[in-house]
Amino acid sequence: MDKFILNLIHRPELIPEYIDTDAQSGKSEELSKKEVVTESLDIFRLQQQIAHDNGLKTTIQMTYASLFNEECCELARQYNKEYGDEIGHTFLGVNCKEFREKHKSKELAMWLFPMDMKIKIVEDSFERFKDVFGFYPTSTGSYFMDAELINHIKEKYPMVEIAVATCFEEGPKVFRHANYSWYTLMDGSPWTAWVPSKKNSHAIAENDEDDSGIVAVPHLSRDLLALMDNSGDMFGTHPQNIIRGLIYEGDRLPYMYNLVDQYQVMKKFNKGFSYNLVYVGPGWMGKAGRWECEYRVLKKSYEDFLAYYGLLKQEGKIEDMGMTEFAKWFRKNQPRSGPICGLWKDIVFGTKNQAFWYADSQFRVQIDLKQGGAITDLRPYASKLTRPCGAGTAANQDASYPFIVQSRYRAGAFTHYAGEGAIKSCKVRYKGEEIDLSSCRSTGQYSEAQGCRILTVKPVEIEFNDLSIKLQTTYTFKENTGEIIISRKIVDSTSPQTKIEVDEFLTSCWGTTEYPEDMTGCLLAVVGKDGSRNELSYDYRCREFGAENINHVEAIIPQVQTKVSLTPENDNCGGYYEEGYSFAPNLKIGITKSIELNQELITCLKVEQAK
Amino acid sequence: MSQGRTGKINYRCPECLFREVDYDLLYEKELDQYYCRRCNWEGNEFEILRLYSVYKRKYKDMLKRYTVEDIMAKDE
Repeated sequence: MDKFILNLIHRPELIPEYIDTDAQSGKSEELSKKEVVTESLDIFRLQQQIAHDNGLKTTIQMTYASLFNEECCELARQYNKEYGDEIGHTFLGVNCKEFREKHKSKELAMWLFPMDMKIKIVEDSFERFKDVFGFYPTSTGSYFMDAELINHIKEKYPMVEIAVATCFEEGPKVFRHANYSWYTLMDGSPWTAWVPSKKNSHAIAENDEDDSGIVAVPHLSRDLLALMDNSGDMFGTHPQNIIRGLIYEGDRLPYMYNLVDQYQVMKKFNKGFSYNLVYVGPGWMGKAGRWECEYRVLKKSYEDFLAYYGLLKQEGKIEDMGMTEFAKWFRKNQPRSGPICGLWKDIVFGTKNQAFWYADSQFRVQIDLKQGGAITDLRPYASKLTRPCGAGTAANQDASYPFIVQSRYRAGAFTHYAGEGAIKSCKVRYKGEEIDLSSCRSTGQYSEAQGCRILTVKPVEIEFNDLSIKLQTTYTFKENTGEIIISRKIVDSTSPQTKIEVDEFLTSCWGTTEYPEDMTGCLLAVVGKDGSRNELSYDYRCREFGAENINHVEAIIPQVQTKVSLTPENDNCGGYYEEGYSFAPNLKIGITKSIELNQELITCLKVEQAK
Repeated sequence: MSQGRTGKINYRCPECLFREVDYDLLYEKELDQYYCRRCNWEGNEFEILRLYSVYKRKYKDMLKRYTVEDIMAKDE
């Protein structure tokens, strides 16, 4: 397969969010001011024209407000007739006089309404759409849609085939970036198209029973390396993201093209398939400019951006589709449960840094190659957490899928005083010296085997006082099993017969943000070859246990219904657990073995649902 | 001193930008000066632009074009 697909979505929002903000703070007198609507529609027309001039078809996602504007509806009909643009639906842009009168709320985020209101809004909006266009939409979306909302829509309107279901990795970093006032707290989904689970829309569906019946796509395609330590809203396939990040000079935005080209490279890791989503409203392209950027540059950035997609289309390197057309293609041509992979290389900071991402129905894993190939983010999809969001739910605004490893929110390899942060890494020890592989910068190579995706980390050199070794790490992801086989092999040594202790460990906690959550009641266990079991219930008492010749070590985090274990394939391995304490609120499990040149410690990391 | 207003250009506070917080500056016409309501930064347009250029230094390859071939050729 050689397929790079573009979904280009235009949202004719009549009261763009930034104007709405002004209105609510008293700066604007009248929400439905004629000139605002006129300018918004003019921008929509211009965006459509730019797309069509470059030979690209769009999906027009009609907002609630736009469904009450006859001019806008007529425009959508014309574009559909003349260019084959899909007329779709969105839950963004609900704010307008009609909505406020009917639903008596200033809430603007569909995923945050109470469920009873979500149900009413779905019906109101879809029926209005039918009244206007004579058919129900087959595509919809919002910045986030939880499984409960998707399931309801699919039950009531089974013709819906696809939805923009998340803003990829818009979580605490984006919340902070927007001065703690942009409530898209939704870390943890796949970064490209996926079939969402019926139980949790972040997670990839496992089977028929778990299949929500739609295809989900992320709002924008984002830089998989930049957003690990930066706010993702500066690094996506939307010129405004890039302008907001000040990643431009004058009217030059080469990073915009670099992003698209790196997504072309993603075909290499996904059996020839890659995907881009561009989704713009009118708010950023007003005559008054956006951020510090003047209108001329905004307009030119969009013209240049779509011209590049147009060029790729002419060259046969990309195919533009409507959202529903893409959903049908995806269902026919892509495996429901993944996996999806990406070995992403730095294209903006000027480093050799790389990150590897993997997702299937059991987990989403992020590996930071500059940290020696440590796992720095792990979301346990296997547990398929029921976690509805919105008013009246326990999660409310916190729509993220919880992690069991997050090295940036939870310290990772570097802590300021005590304890260890959340990370999956490895330490090597020799004569009292200890080196954490996360301090050994490396790069990776991707390969495939039957039922497996493999990341091979370039060997790193580790220097002790009187010994030097080269150690190679290999991650083998056994597709849709929740298992990663991790190999640590000594491939070179200045003293071939000298044994070095390898400590394959996981430091874990759970949460969705930077702040610690309650670990009380987590279970830690070391299980011997003879079936003997030493376990404890987490209570912040800094207890530890270790044993020789173990079968495996495990941790159960009941708060996220997740069990994680490390099982060595070698004989005669040691194993341990460490409880942690309140200033270091993580749990730790590990496997140890001493190896010499050409020997390897092979461990299976397994993530599963805790019963 | 009259109330602060949004300037001709809606600049964000450069100091807040450095800690990844977008916060619009206000403009005090009498002094031809911008100031931040969140932190303690104040300065003129020249200083804003100077600090923006400092901010951009983290993007060493900001103006570099990486094609598919360039990306494929990067160390793997």
